[in-house]
Amino acid sequence: MRKIGPVLLVLVLVLTTALSGCGQNQSQPDKTDGVIKIGAILPLTGPASATGVKLKYAIETAQELINGEHPEIDLELAKTAGLPNLKGAKVEFIFADHQANPEVAKSEAERLIQNEKVAALIGCYHSSATKPASQVAERFGIPFVAGSSSSAALTERGLKWFTRIAPHDGMETKLFFDYLKYLNEKYNAGIRKIAVVYIDNEYGVHAFQMVEKEIQNYKADGFELVADVKYPANVSNVDTEVQKIKAAAPDAIFHASYIGDMTMFVKKYKEMNVVPKVVLSYCGGYQDPQFVKNLGKDADYFAGPNATTSALFEKMPVLAKINEIYKAKAGVDIDGPTLEDFASAMVIAEAINRAGSTDPAKVLEVLKNHEFAAPYFVSGKIKFGEDGQNVYSASVMTQIQNGVYEAVWPETSQTKEPIPAFPAWDKR
Amino acid sequence: MLLQIILSGILVGFVYSLVAVGLTLIWGVMDIINFAHGDFLMVSMYTVFWLYTLLRLDPLASLPIAALVTFVLSFLTYKLIIKRVINAPGLTALLATFGLSLFIRNFAQYLWTPNYRFITTSLVTDKKLEMGSVIIGIPQLVAALGSIMMTFLVVWFIKNTKTGRAIQAAAQSRDTAKLMGINTEKIYAVTFGISGACVGVAGALLATFFPIYPESGALYSLLAFVIVALGGFGNIAGALYGGVLIGLSEALGGFFLGTQFKYAIVFLIYLLVLQFRPKGLFGW
Repeated sequence: MRKIGPVLLVLVLVLTTALSGCGQNQSQPDKTDGVIKIGAILPLTGPASATGVKLKYAIETAQELINGEHPEIDLELAKTAGLPNLKGAKVEFIFADHQANPEVAKSEAERLIQNEKVAALIGCYHSSATKPASQVAERFGIPFVAGSSSSAALTERGLKWFTRIAPHDGMETKLFFDYLKYLNEKYNAGIRKIAVVYIDNEYGVHAFQMVEKEIQNYKADGFELVADVKYPANVSNVDTEVQKIKAAAPDAIFHASYIGDMTMFVKKYKEMNVVPKVVLSYCGGYQDPQFVKNLGKDADYFAGPNATTSALFEKMPVLAKINEIYKAKAGVDIDGPTLEDFASAMVIAEAINRAGSTDPAKVLEVLKNHEFAAPYFVSGKIKFGEDGQNVYSASVMTQIQNGVYEAVWPETSQTKEPIPAFPAWDKR
Repeated sequence: MLLQIILSGILVGFVYSLVAVGLTLIWGVMDIINFAHGDFLMVSMYTVFWLYTLLRLDPLASLPIAALVTFVLSFLTYKLIIKRVINAPGLTALLATFGLSLFIRNFAQYLWTPNYRFITTSLVTDKKLEMGSVIIGIPQLVAALGSIMMTFLVVWFIKNTKTGRAIQAAAQSRDTAKLMGINTEKIYAVTFGISGACVGVAGALLATFFPIYPESGALYSLLAFVIVALGGFGNIAGALYGGVLIGLSEALGGFFLGTQFKYAIVFLIYLLVLQFRPKGLFGW
């Protein structure tokens, strides 16, 4: 029932596009009227809306930095009001809601490009939504900068107009195995058996494929896959899933889950007494600070790569200042995915500024060839490779210890040492 | 292991049943499908959550309040919305409740943000029964027992009270009931209210272990439709069995065929039943 609306919308849009003889030249560059519109497609309602709303705050934070004067923040566009190379033109992010629905993401991308005449697109959090939306951008010849969508498949499509900030799940998977190796070598953790638990959508399925592929390279280190548990995108309970995991008795569990399902899993692990040594989560539910808020002490010892953590604010002054502005809006500290979407907003604005125009070809030229300073990331910079992937992995491995996301690996950015074993649930 | 799966399935199933009982009741009495049913469930969960957060009231203690809130909400839904469309073609009432569902869901998101919330401490949280290798969570057990009690309470009410008998009469024939001097208007409103109270109780019981967010009722209401069809439209006992059957097939099917298929199995059963026994497994 729900799907008829979007399908009709897409149909109508496709028809009108065909009639008007759409093409790359339709958008009128340089006619900015002092305001440059950039489309941001996010899950503002639907199952992931909790995250979507925070991404919106992060992009609004970026907008504030770009349009206002913030000499105290050491960022290219923060110091001046608007874009200096475009006579101080202001940037306006136009938000659209994809409701976690790929079809809606596609039609919203078309609407933003055709009706709102946006100069570029950012979003969409869900890889499954980013995929069709960026294909629309490709068709119209408009740059698309994805922030936190992590499916590796996105940058494997050979798209010309697509770039992505977050490390993809292939890079994350490698990070997982390297981290486990590090735990085995340094702490003698004895981790061998691995289970993958993943949501049945683009993000989860692809994460699992990456594990299947990457584990081949780590056979020599003794890792083996003992279970893969795929669960529906909307679950009323995870009893069966957890029983399957328990039956396999893994040492490490890799999770590709969002916040709601992830929390249900942790509660069930506790109830069913599932005690692995390590639980690593792909960018998703674990990275949402609500995870700690909802689970309290039970959230301890979970781990996963994160573009940032509050524990790093002390070490990184620019990040701390960005967080101040963000926190005033969102009421919580900025987290990994949110920071990545913030970065996507900053990067596209910087690219337009450096290009000195909104001409898509010039902006793309800058995106593909320039390096962008990103003092809010541990890596410190952003540079897109041929395929559009940011070559600098923005992630550190974090682990929740006493309710705080501590950076535990690599050792150079460590705020606490990792704890490579879960204590029994009743001994916490 | 098998015992564990079966038990989990049954416990989950009873909660499904209670959600379905409310739905089937409205269908049985006035031939209306209430799309907003799941959203009443969500409202109940939020009621419990706020009573817990603001007044430190245990979910089980606030259960009657939640039931009352959803009773009133349902009662008003009838008085303000359904009453106007009850004589219109069938689809009108369905669309009206669909609209109401969208409104409640989005209004909840506006009021309470889409964050996932949990009730972190309560009388039952983190307690469990361990019998050998079988582990039963107390929240789930309490929810199942509560659901059974509420279902029997509804059945008892309909069988043994004057209002209950009037509900039965109105279900059989609205016009005849009217001729016999029954105020069908009032009876319908009360039926809607009882249906709301059912999800109210279910919501309060679920709130101890299920995330609370504006869409939390959506999946439950979808499953409730399947259960109602399975148990026979309007058949309360059928809804009870149907719920358990769905809970079991979800748990067993999920474990043996792959968890990604657990709802596929449920909906397959639904399709098969619709094909071969459209009046439902326990329908008359």
